[in-house]
Amino acid sequence: MDFLKTMAIAASGLRAQAGRMRIISENIANADSTPAAPGAEPYRRKVPSFQTEVDRTLDVQLVELGKTRTDNSEFRLKYEPGHPAADKNGNVKYPNVNPLLEMTDMREAQRSYEANINVISATRRMLQRTIDILKT
Amino acid sequence: MAITDIPILSMLRTRLQWSQERQRVLAENVANADTPSYRARDLAPPKFEAPTALAAAPVTTVSLTRTANGHIAGIGQSDSPFRAQSDGDYEVRPTGNAVNLEQEMMKVAANQMDYQAVTALYTRSLSLIKTALGKN
Repeated sequence: MDFLKTMAIAASGLRAQAGRMRIISENIANADSTPAAPGAEPYRRKVPSFQTEVDRTLDVQLVELGKTRTDNSEFRLKYEPGHPAADKNGNVKYPNVNPLLEMTDMREAQRSYEANINVISATRRMLQRTIDILKT
Repeated sequence: MAITDIPILSMLRTRLQWSQERQRVLAENVANADTPSYRARDLAPPKFEAPTALAAAPVTTVSLTRTANGHIAGIGQSDSPFRAQSDGDYEVRPTGNAVNLEQEMMKVAANQMDYQAVTALYTRSLSLIKTALGKN
């Protein structure tokens, strides 16, 4: 049944976008996680990735959340001499999380999620029309 | 004489199958809207140049043959009688992804309306047969 395959594909899209939202929320929540000791590194921003996954039982191409990689850009330095994690110059390393970037990413994830929902509801309506043939 | 031997019904059935298949392809596009180097695909519309021939012989397909038991069945050009075609890539993002969500939403809506039209026609055709039978 093709419509069930369609639903499975759209559901995999929903799952992938939900996983992406989880990583974005991790980034936002840890935007101010400073290191424990002066030499240590703070939280490093995570970047989700997507990849196509072939489902052999359904014979369709699903999407899944691939490996989560880390953003290797520079950490933000803040001058806070009194901070326990401050180095000898009084600088504290803050995570390389840019809240604006995360918000943009979040909107994009939201948009993709809605698009998948839209496909599911359209498919459901089509399926309903097929069932309606029986009723006449 | 089976009900599927009636040309109009068999043509409508082909059209419904095409819509189902297209919905699957569109769902793949939407689900992979963030997968790097994914290109949006669509189905070529079905051709009804020789409806009588089509009704007589179902559409045949060319597919890969498995010459050894260890071979994995080919995917993509599976048992679908309809050909998938690649869209014009007029919006390729830096990641190599060429899915335009708005365009896909339009296609999903159009496909749904097509499907509704065909199911309505199918119902009408069935009621024609009912009239002939004198059962209403």
